[in-house]
Amino acid sequence: MVAGMPLTYPIAEQTLDNGLRVVVSSDRAVPIVAVNLWYDVGSRHEPPGLTGFAHLFEHLMFQGSRNVASGQHFSLLETAGASLNASTFFDRTNYFESLPSGGLDLALWLEADRMGYLLDAVNQENLDNQRDVVKEEKRQSYDNRPYGDSYERLVRLAFPEGHPYAHMTIGSMADLDAASLEDVHAFFRKYYGPNNAVLTIVGDVSEDDAFDAAKRYFGHLPAIPTPPPAPDGTIGPMTDVQRDDVESDVPSDLITMMFRLPVDGTPELDAAGLALDILAAGQSGRLNRRLVRDEQIAQSVSGGALPLIGGVSFGTLTGIASDGVDLQKVEDALLEEIEKLATEGVSSEELATVQAQAERDWLEQLATCAGRADEISHYALLFGDPNRINTRIDQVQAVTVEQVQAAAAKWIRAAGRVQVSYRRQEAKSEMAETAGEQE
Amino acid sequence: MSQVLTTPPAVGAPRPWRFPEAVTTRTSVGTPVHVFDRPGQYVATVRVTIAMPLIAEPRELEGVATIMSRTLDEGTELHSANEFAAALERHGAAYGVDVSSDALHVEISVPVSHLAPAVALLAEAITRPAFNQADVGRHVTIRLGEINQERANAGYRAREAFASHLFDSSTRRSRPTAGTPDTIRPLTNVEVADFYRRNIGPERAEILFAGDATGVDAAAIIDEAFGNWTSTAGTALETPEPIYIPGNRVVLVNRPGSVQSQLLIGCAGPDRRDPGWGSAAVANHVVGGTITSRVDTVLREEKGYTYGTRTSFAAPRKGGTFSLGGAVRTEVTGAAIGDALRILREARDGLTEQEVQEAKDSLIRTAPLRYEQADSVAQQVGSNIANGVPVDFADTYLSQIAATTAAEATDAYRRYVGTDGLLVVVVGEAKDVRPQLEGLDLGDLIDLS
Repeated sequence: MVAGMPLTYPIAEQTLDNGLRVVVSSDRAVPIVAVNLWYDVGSRHEPPGLTGFAHLFEHLMFQGSRNVASGQHFSLLETAGASLNASTFFDRTNYFESLPSGGLDLALWLEADRMGYLLDAVNQENLDNQRDVVKEEKRQSYDNRPYGDSYERLVRLAFPEGHPYAHMTIGSMADLDAASLEDVHAFFRKYYGPNNAVLTIVGDVSEDDAFDAAKRYFGHLPAIPTPPPAPDGTIGPMTDVQRDDVESDVPSDLITMMFRLPVDGTPELDAAGLALDILAAGQSGRLNRRLVRDEQIAQSVSGGALPLIGGVSFGTLTGIASDGVDLQKVEDALLEEIEKLATEGVSSEELATVQAQAERDWLEQLATCAGRADEISHYALLFGDPNRINTRIDQVQAVTVEQVQAAAAKWIRAAGRVQVSYRRQEAKSEMAETAGEQE
Repeated sequence: MSQVLTTPPAVGAPRPWRFPEAVTTRTSVGTPVHVFDRPGQYVATVRVTIAMPLIAEPRELEGVATIMSRTLDEGTELHSANEFAAALERHGAAYGVDVSSDALHVEISVPVSHLAPAVALLAEAITRPAFNQADVGRHVTIRLGEINQERANAGYRAREAFASHLFDSSTRRSRPTAGTPDTIRPLTNVEVADFYRRNIGPERAEILFAGDATGVDAAAIIDEAFGNWTSTAGTALETPEPIYIPGNRVVLVNRPGSVQSQLLIGCAGPDRRDPGWGSAAVANHVVGGTITSRVDTVLREEKGYTYGTRTSFAAPRKGGTFSLGGAVRTEVTGAAIGDALRILREARDGLTEQEVQEAKDSLIRTAPLRYEQADSVAQQVGSNIANGVPVDFADTYLSQIAATTAAEATDAYRRYVGTDGLLVVVVGEAKDVRPQLEGLDLGDLIDLS
């Protein structure tokens, strides 16, 4: 295979006196600039009783702050030509916007105002309103769609009670309902401050101007007391099988298996992720070839690793049964392929294919200022090394077939998994006959 | 030295921006090739857009275009389906097809370093497909399963009901692009291959490259792969004008167990032939195009009925639509529809100068972001070709927006929204929703529960 070109995106870093880490990657080829903040608070930081709080702030952060009226954050940025949003994940919360470079000061001012002075604007009224909006988000994204609760069910089984990854970012509606305004204020004071965040600026600005602007808008914000670290989630591979079998009104029978995986940032996780790709990625993956193309027992298969920083990651494999096919057949075939990979390993051709796919994915992720800024924040916040965006492909390419098999043999096993299955409520015998007639 | 600024800092004027320019050539058999050199875009998109109006499908075999498109890469004269996928993916390429009401798009994304072999495989799928019955039959089965998934999806159900009640049944768009069970089941490789022979050829195609072309002769690579493409298919049929059903009416689709009601409210709209296309986009931005627009300011931010709604003017080649879509809590469905209709109708009374200026600024200034990635350039140009407008239509659209006054934005909106009535589609728990629809002045109730 032709070796990928070495990546040379420039990276410059400074830490302000208040502890804010600022990373700049100048790119004058485009007339835009991306501003991206990662706060070191995600659902893994939430103590029992406060689940869903990190995500609730993702909403409240758009409701105004000391010098910004409700709705003004969006309207000022949109008028400047910005695309903006935020997201909450297990490990962190991010806030970001891209816009024509003349709007850099505006973006930084808005981000600084809500980092420093959000609570001036968080009152009972907008707390109640955004709690309602979050409930509609949960209904839309989890409750009103088939299989929408599968990850909630899986992480509950894959991790012990109280483990940082045992609950989803959306949290419990009961916890949100029970939250007082003071609980919400306290959560913000604990985690939102310059020394618990990374600010990344990518695009049409010089390094000097970008650092000056960061100091101008964020330099006066006081540091917060060092937040407590998230609970240590270090835990080894699963050693048993746990199932959650659901009968419900789903369009097709579906099974998802989940495995614990090594922590992010290790060659072992890269190897485990590539093992799942060899099984489930693309049209040429083993599961697609066997279950979808050759045996036609599944309509589709999918899967992959979800890298996490808190001592353990997880990965999944999903199969949707063809009409009239017993889901058990899909489960059996998945388990056979899992065991085959763990015991017999992979070919160098298979590994080279998923490595080539990973390279394209990574180059696409870095193809926009916004995507590059997000990965720079990611590696700066969670690994202290934003330069990793330039060496990421090399790390993936360095993984060997032996490492893939070793990681799979340890972490991705039939005897160490959790799974959720959804089966249609109606009787199946009739449909099985129909399918049989078609052959 | 650091002072807290209590008012927003000024925004500097944006640099002038134009849609990226193409170098246009032709393959040896005359197919246009547009090369967009995008420095720094290491992953290129090569997209082949082929005029394929769905009216070419026999009525009883609707979906044959989709099954044909999905089986192009399922085995060729040179490779089996598994061999083809393995070869393409080994080059780091991703392959995809998309069927719209006017065109077929087939594309690959691939690191530029692997361009030539990946383009050769793309051409193999498009020009030398095998259409083995085993692969066609499998895709028929997969499509039937997909229909089950669609029927469980509230958003899909709403779009399907909207199309079938907005368009007359003589209009192809009143029915699903990818066909229904009764039109999919009879399909074999015979019908699929026949449809391919009649409809796919170099005279109907245009080929796009977008990516970093430094040191790469993209046009020559494309000609090497597509330069000997022959076909008996001549030029494509022209899509006829759609026929709309006017009037106020509400369609209630029962989806038992729903905890939200999926709403889709709308009517006819302009297409890109209308010089008011840009003004309509401005009006849309004010009314419901963003979280700060009139609709979500009430439905989301004031009342907390929804995670969010959006409106849009959308159009294929001929005949557009206006629609407002979103999901609201079951118990407030009637109230949410009432608020939405009131806001949509009140907008006919006029959009303010400030609203229109802010919408124009947003739409114009976000353009460089929208086309930053090579793939988004290829997507836009492919859809321009399908829609029958020039490849640089984005510049025309932006100049229409820049020239739009508040009166013109209001006028573009008023010509369509609420003029010939509004269709309201509700997908949800019918027994809880039905009583809420009474007294809303929605016109006839079409109860599909």
